[in-house]
Amino acid sequence: MTNDPLEKKIKQLKPEDLKKALQVFREKLNQEYAVQLNSCVHCGLCADSCHYYLTHKDVQSLPAYKLSLANGIFKKYFSFIGKNIPGWVGGKEFNQAMVREWVDSLFGRCTLCGRCSLNCSMGLNIHYLIRMARSALAAIDIVPLGLQSTVDTALEKGNNMGIAKEDWIETVEWLEEELQEEARDKQAVLPMDKKGARLFYTVNPREPMFFPLSILAVGKIFYAAGESWTFSSNNYDVTNYGYYSGDDEAAATMSDRLVQSMKKLDCKTLVLAECGHGLNANRWEAPEWLSKKYDFEVKSILEIVADYIRQGRIKLDPSLNPNLVTLHDPCNLVRLGGIVEEQRYILKHAVAHFIEMYPNRQKNFCCGGGGGQLAMTRFSQRRLKAGQIKADQIRKTGAKIVAAPCHNCIDQLMELNKHYKLGVEVKTICEIAADALIIDRS
Amino acid sequence: MLSLLRFGVIFSFFLSATALSLLVLKTFSFGKKTLYAKPRGDAKKGVLYAFGRGMLPWEKESTSKHLPTYVSGMLYHAGIFAALFYLLSLIFSLELSRLFIYLLRFLFFLGYLGGFTLLFKRIFLPTMRKISCPDDFAANTIVDLFLIFAFVHTYSVRATPLFFLVAILMFLYIPVGKIRHCVFFFYARILFGLFYGRRGVLPPKTHKI
Repeated sequence: MTNDPLEKKIKQLKPEDLKKALQVFREKLNQEYAVQLNSCVHCGLCADSCHYYLTHKDVQSLPAYKLSLANGIFKKYFSFIGKNIPGWVGGKEFNQAMVREWVDSLFGRCTLCGRCSLNCSMGLNIHYLIRMARSALAAIDIVPLGLQSTVDTALEKGNNMGIAKEDWIETVEWLEEELQEEARDKQAVLPMDKKGARLFYTVNPREPMFFPLSILAVGKIFYAAGESWTFSSNNYDVTNYGYYSGDDEAAATMSDRLVQSMKKLDCKTLVLAECGHGLNANRWEAPEWLSKKYDFEVKSILEIVADYIRQGRIKLDPSLNPNLVTLHDPCNLVRLGGIVEEQRYILKHAVAHFIEMYPNRQKNFCCGGGGGQLAMTRFSQRRLKAGQIKADQIRKTGAKIVAAPCHNCIDQLMELNKHYKLGVEVKTICEIAADALIIDRS
Repeated sequence: MLSLLRFGVIFSFFLSATALSLLVLKTFSFGKKTLYAKPRGDAKKGVLYAFGRGMLPWEKESTSKHLPTYVSGMLYHAGIFAALFYLLSLIFSLELSRLFIYLLRFLFFLGYLGGFTLLFKRIFLPTMRKISCPDDFAANTIVDLFLIFAFVHTYSVRATPLFFLVAILMFLYIPVGKIRHCVFFFYARILFGLFYGRRGVLPPKTHKI
């Protein structure tokens, strides 16, 4: 008798549950996905692109194998040949054993980082196909518990850490005092619910909870730039774990909250904090989930800060950051989000010594913290092992500071730092930029 | 007999083309995803990259780290296209110069070597075996046979019936299994280029902002 609640759920699945999952799989299938599922030639060249495969060396971690789990269902249930001769073309039965394998491989061995997609000889969006399969599981409530509870908390409390409104406001008030002290200016503010501001700045709830200085850093930059901006007392969470769980409905609800805040505050630009999946979800996926074109701009804070530097709105002194800094490229921000050079531009102006890790930019390796892995404790040992590649990359640079424009990545990198004894400090780009900021007190 | 086989090749080709068209049409039935997010990059540039620079071995780690496999694949496909051209010349009784036939023969040989290498890898590497289904072996074998008979035919016209028979088998098999990627490859690469081009991820920027 198992004590694992997820295993219990799998064992209790009825034929109608499996049918429902298949129905959702079919609903999520579109022309693009069908083409891609028809195109895999099982060349296996994706193997070395996956940090799970490279560190575990088991076939279950191989992207082509993971894709074959979803593709087998497509072939068996939605293709003519697969329906008639499934064994010949790799068609697979969707049953409890397959659900178990999907959970283990598609949730437990994938961060949806998209590195395999970029390296696929056919150009298949493997990670999106894996997410589609996750959607089918989410529809029958088969999502690893930690990940599901993060989604539930966000839906119930308005943010994924369940921070009460008064605590959020108090934190901002405290940070505002800190800002006034640092800026030696009683007029320095961290505006809350300021209608008509140009920018609405979102935060990752981990910031008020564990990394308030990240918020202060951004506030300091906005202050120095003389920006018109605001926080929202409600619906400010940039994260979207529905993206990871595959639950499009939940994901749409979360992203729509930011849209509602934009409307309520009448701002011009939705500015996303340093959060990789938050950018991918809210910049690229949310308009699709909500089936609407936004009538406002959606930008990463990195784009905003890079603009400030370019326009001379803020001045940075790189000598204030004398240590050697390297940069981690979050997959959702860079490979899937297109924000590639902005962070480099900022660092170029904010630090005295910078060194790239290799490979970098679009070809970067995932740190292992994406895909909802940080919330799925059942797979944490695997996650740490998969992060070894990133740890080795960092070690090779000899850097003292790792800049990481994503709080999920930061959590993983901090764990890797401890586990692999890297002896580095992990910071956001804005924290580093704020440290180099010259505030003109005149 | 030869006329009948020639007709068989043409007929199987059209049958294959029809089945492939139906397969493509079937993908349309799943519905097109409407894109609402504002583009950041140029989708067209992404598509150009997907078919141009993006195909170069050093652009992808998967190929730069596996150059022998990349070369095998390229030779295999070059051999296949050459053999298809050769088949076309036979069907329509086109005259080819001796020198050109020598060149084609060389390509068939290299193509076969490439195809056999890939098949060998699939059979003997445990990881490859685990991600393979019978179709993977069958498709590779049929195409290898096609190349072998194209090669043999350059030495002896007596191989014509067998070459035509293998061609018929290959055309009929295309829509059944993975060789359908002869069409879907182009489609998938376009989608790849559109996706990453639109997001401003590819082509990679060569200048700093």
